[in-house]
Amino acid sequence: MSKNSNLSVLLNGIIKENPVLVLILGTCPTLATTGTVDGALGMGLAALAVLVCSNVFISLLRNVIPETMRIPCYIVIIAGFVTVVKMIVQAYLPDLYATLGVYLDLITVNCIILGRAEMFAGKNPVIRSALDGVGMGLGFTLSLVVMATIREVFGSGSFAGYEIPFMQEYTIAFLTKAPGGLLVYGLLIALIYVVTKGAFPKKKSFSCEGCPNASNCYTPNCAEKGVEN
Amino acid sequence: MKKNLKNIAVLVCICAVITVLLAATNAITAPLIEKNQNAAANEALLVVMPGAEGFETVDITAYSLPQTVTEAHKETSGRGYVVKLVTTGYGSDFVIMCGVSSDGVVTGAVCLSSNETLGKEKTYGENFKDKNADDVDAVDTLAGATKTTEAYKNAVKDALNTAVILGGGSVDIRTEEEILADNLNAALPAGEGKFQKHFFAEIVDGVDAVYTADNGAGYVCVIGDAFIGVNADGTAITADAVGADKAAAAVATIKATTLTDIDLTAYPTLANTVVSAKKTATGNFVVETKGAGYGIKGGNEYVPASGEYIIVKVSMTADGKIIDCLTVSQGETANLGDACKDEAFYGQFDGKTEADYTEIDAIAGATMTTDGYKQAIERAFAAVKVLNGGVK
Repeated sequence: MSKNSNLSVLLNGIIKENPVLVLILGTCPTLATTGTVDGALGMGLAALAVLVCSNVFISLLRNVIPETMRIPCYIVIIAGFVTVVKMIVQAYLPDLYATLGVYLDLITVNCIILGRAEMFAGKNPVIRSALDGVGMGLGFTLSLVVMATIREVFGSGSFAGYEIPFMQEYTIAFLTKAPGGLLVYGLLIALIYVVTKGAFPKKKSFSCEGCPNASNCYTPNCAEKGVEN
Repeated sequence: MKKNLKNIAVLVCICAVITVLLAATNAITAPLIEKNQNAAANEALLVVMPGAEGFETVDITAYSLPQTVTEAHKETSGRGYVVKLVTTGYGSDFVIMCGVSSDGVVTGAVCLSSNETLGKEKTYGENFKDKNADDVDAVDTLAGATKTTEAYKNAVKDALNTAVILGGGSVDIRTEEEILADNLNAALPAGEGKFQKHFFAEIVDGVDAVYTADNGAGYVCVIGDAFIGVNADGTAITADAVGADKAAAAVATIKATTLTDIDLTAYPTLANTVVSAKKTATGNFVVETKGAGYGIKGGNEYVPASGEYIIVKVSMTADGKIIDCLTVSQGETANLGDACKDEAFYGQFDGKTEADYTEIDAIAGATMTTDGYKQAIERAFAAVKVLNGGVK
């Protein structure tokens, strides 16, 4: 499997460049919607849909969108797809819509999506951009579901709304609150770091090269941009 | 310049494409979203009217409805109405939703939100199902929650009345105060609607109450269900000769009553219990006494007394029979002990003597207030004995 194969693009987002646990992007929706597995799954899939659509669209237009105008163009495209997803969820999944609330709108400013548009879709062909969107979306969804499982099972004594008899009597209510979410989040990041022995991200140094996004950065060597280490 | 124009053109094009996309999505989803929202709103209505096909909101400002009604919905197939009411039970903002069928039967009632203490109101509504206006009062009360029960029953009655009014019928939705005011005004229009209840210092046989017009136009005597106006000169306005005589006699007695202040400094034993005392020419007494209710440090006035006494005005014959009783002021707990200011409570003392004055219905949930009130009455009996020649 070559480093740049389509499959590796797809798999990158799931572990190696997991947006939530490795790149530490999208922290706000991660903390806000992982109280329940349903909410986390809904949020993850909604973000995935927006991510794939906006990645494809932006990739298609990557030669048309002027360099200086890329952020406004990306935001218009992302906001458009978020609104489409929101209307579809509201129409077909009203319960999920009620659960996600304002966080659905906030996908617009989810930095994973803008981040992938900026780092990947803006300079890669359509198929690879779509795969990147799917991979990142799945990575996001997976992280959210894992985190929500821990929080819901131990915090509320249920899984996806189904009560677990024994757990019901020993709930840790703290986990259902925002500080509990932050704690679980931190532990998961630490776990990923230990399991991968710190391989991802490769920390070459505390400079631009050590940045997890270095490989995707517009100019690989930041020094060329005149940015000091 | 050319570069800027290109930038603008690209952004405009992207916006246009996105707009088309949004418009298309909206065209597909808008009807579904509206349907979902209506279904959610109707869900609560369906609870109190199972089997309803749909609802349309009634403009309640177009009707003269009970004040508690905040929303009304008509069932589209004509089954009846669902009424939302906000009332006050033990606490305020007691919200009830009640469904009423077109033939005047409650199809369901639920409490949407409340600040009641016991929480029993949550399921109380079930008891009203299939009841009509005549059955509501007979529904079992909630033990220990008199005010909640009363508020719930009144709300259900209001809902039943609302359904009648919205259905084109008419019903008397006046409160007791409004009915009294209307009756007084009808009996003596010259009184211009402002009356004070007269405090009897003399025994007036056959007349339940007398109201005096604020503007001096005359009096209204209540004899049973009849309201008889009496002009300032003492002539009754009624075709009923017997009633007219009674009313004229009552007014003559009232006009003849003269009260003389009694100097209380001559009675040191009454200094702590009696606020004021007056005597009529016929030998009756009118005393104002104080009782330590819940407003006085939980009823204990001796260590050290602070708070507000219940002040009671009592008129009494020299041999110790209460003619009339009235609460002058009180500082009891709102919505509980302050029921002692209602005539329904203090009116019970009329005609009582020292032997039987304790045989009255206590105020539910306010033992301290009831005891404090009885203390004030007891002190009135004691005061009259002293004023009538007992130990000073």
